[in-house]
Amino acid sequence: MRNIFLIARREYLEQIRSRAFRMSTIGLPALFALVLAIGAWSSRGAGSHKHFVVVSSNLALAEAARDRLLANKEHKPTVTVVAPITDDLRAELIEAVKDSAVSGIVSIENANGKPVASYTSKSAGDFMTASKLQSVLSDALVEERLSSAGFTPAESNTLLKGVKVESYQVKKDGAIVKSNAAASFWKGYVMAILLSMTTIIYGMNVARSIIQEKTSRIFEVMLAIAKPADMLAGKLIGVGAVGLTQILIWVVAAGALVASPLASAMLTGQFEVHFSLAEAVLFPLYFLLGYLLFSALFAGLAASCETEQELQMYMPLAAGPTWLSFSMIAMIMSDSNSVWAVAASLFPPTAPIVMFLRMASEQPPLWQIALSIGLLAASIWVTLWISAKLYRVGILMYGKRATLPELVRWLRYS
Amino acid sequence: MSVVELAGVNKAYENKIAVADLSLTIEAGQMFGLLGPNGAGKTSSIRMMMGITMPDSGSVRLFDKPFERKSLERVGYLPEERGLYKKMQVLDQLVFFGELHGLSRAEAHTRSVAWAKRMEIDEALGKKTEELSKGMQQKIQFIGSLLHEPGLIVMDEPFSGLDPVNAALVEKTLLELKSEGRAILFSTHRMDQVEKLCDTICLVNHGRSVLSGKVREIKSRYERNHVIVEFEGDAGFLNSAEIAEAKNFSGHAEIRLKPHGDAQKLLHEASAQATIYRFELVEPSLEEIFIQTVGGKSDA
Repeated sequence: MRNIFLIARREYLEQIRSRAFRMSTIGLPALFALVLAIGAWSSRGAGSHKHFVVVSSNLALAEAARDRLLANKEHKPTVTVVAPITDDLRAELIEAVKDSAVSGIVSIENANGKPVASYTSKSAGDFMTASKLQSVLSDALVEERLSSAGFTPAESNTLLKGVKVESYQVKKDGAIVKSNAAASFWKGYVMAILLSMTTIIYGMNVARSIIQEKTSRIFEVMLAIAKPADMLAGKLIGVGAVGLTQILIWVVAAGALVASPLASAMLTGQFEVHFSLAEAVLFPLYFLLGYLLFSALFAGLAASCETEQELQMYMPLAAGPTWLSFSMIAMIMSDSNSVWAVAASLFPPTAPIVMFLRMASEQPPLWQIALSIGLLAASIWVTLWISAKLYRVGILMYGKRATLPELVRWLRYS
Repeated sequence: MSVVELAGVNKAYENKIAVADLSLTIEAGQMFGLLGPNGAGKTSSIRMMMGITMPDSGSVRLFDKPFERKSLERVGYLPEERGLYKKMQVLDQLVFFGELHGLSRAEAHTRSVAWAKRMEIDEALGKKTEELSKGMQQKIQFIGSLLHEPGLIVMDEPFSGLDPVNAALVEKTLLELKSEGRAILFSTHRMDQVEKLCDTICLVNHGRSVLSGKVREIKSRYERNHVIVEFEGDAGFLNSAEIAEAKNFSGHAEIRLKPHGDAQKLLHEASAQATIYRFELVEPSLEEIFIQTVGGKSDA
């Protein structure tokens, strides 16, 4: 036990003092925030100040469409109506689109009760504008029909007014609480990303550290003092503690930021996120279990490699479960108790991420959480057993990367 | 008391026999040389003594007891494939090794500083390992294996990478440790050092012991048909009919006589042509015995 502690402490101190740790502790959240900020900032301005020309053979319909477009205060478009439209005028407008004098031509017709609409612009991929136009033109068409039936514009507006759906969640104790589906989704999403990122980063750190020790030939010195299993355990504990320290720093920093006057000015109350005690306990636990599973697997594989480049070959083993987990996100958020969602939250390689995505939507039954933790612990034990064997033989093999048959043979050695 | 005892040890990897029926004994206060060409099975034998690998058959005893990991607390090991943590400070590294060997942190610190002074590298204690020369790193590894005052010291090629001054310092230290009653096993290709330092040797080839015993006894088994001559003047006597082979190093000649070659006749011829300062009839050197025994088939 003493050797495990000493090896873990050395590993922890070396990594904590490294420049890479400082950079990733500050850099990763900064990068994350920067990406989110750039995304939000760029989408806010997207589609602003466009010049649309609404063309139709029906002036009333064209004007209804114009009024609907101008009602969009966020994007402040300029709208010109050309009705009725002729072939010459249409040709002129297409030239104007070509010269970028006009952003696009919105054409709407309602001949014989068959509505036909189109949008012509220079951009082939402007699906966001086309999708917004769909709802605007549908409303304009209904308004024009209501107007023809004798309704005033005020009456039409009242009839067309949409409804906002409030969501409520029934808790396990029967209490009904107002929920914010978007906030729940983003909370689960961010936690799952954080979990997958730290698990893979620190799992790879263990692997990299083993390869560096193999390259520097320190292993044989260490093997005369400590058992391979103690060396592996010390390394896993040390690097895992570094990961937990980094997560703790992020959580404390995030807490301090949220409590600051700056955050209260930025958050308008629309995006409140609450963390339950279960989430606070299970997040570090799932990090540790996920990390131990991946790092144990990679420790064994790293011992069979000579360089980090060779290790890259095994990367899909780590990335695969993460891709699988995130590809299920829509299904999990819409029905977190479906058979596939439950199965993925119990399957050890995908369990940490999927369980957190499920928890964001609805608290899974306790037995499922307990079973997923139990299965993870059992798979860690099996992986560690295999990896310890690969590690014991692999660290003394220099000169070439082991082939798969060789790895199988190593498992048979005592 | 026998500190190391290998009895009929065998070890094979895949289709290669690494060690075959190897037996040897090392006593306390003895300097033991494990010799052999590259790939002869030296490192495999040492790894079995250190519990890094297990013999397929045969027994390994340390300190008069069947091998157990606890015995390794009394062993200092400097392997051939050695390294240090490059980003760690030298003192931290030595303290870490000391603690792993069972010392308290304070004791490991005190001994590290004392040993650094003894090995003349105390100015490097605050530096990172990667900033040091290969020779300095070698001395740090040497210290790391001795901090816990082991009863058995196992050193695989301890002089590689050392300049003559530092090699002499390591030699002197090893002799001091021997005089303190420690058993020392070292493996090397440097026959001059074996001849100078070792009491007993075991020469292995293809995993088998082909020659073993006390250095003096082994050398005495060979005929005294080698002559060392130091001279000034005409080296023509080196073409004498009594000589089978001669190497001339500018006034220092090493000569092997023909079977039944007459040393007195050679001395007569030499003194007639040159001024002789030294004319010594000796046994073959260990290097010659080594080459003769392994048939000159070393892959080194």
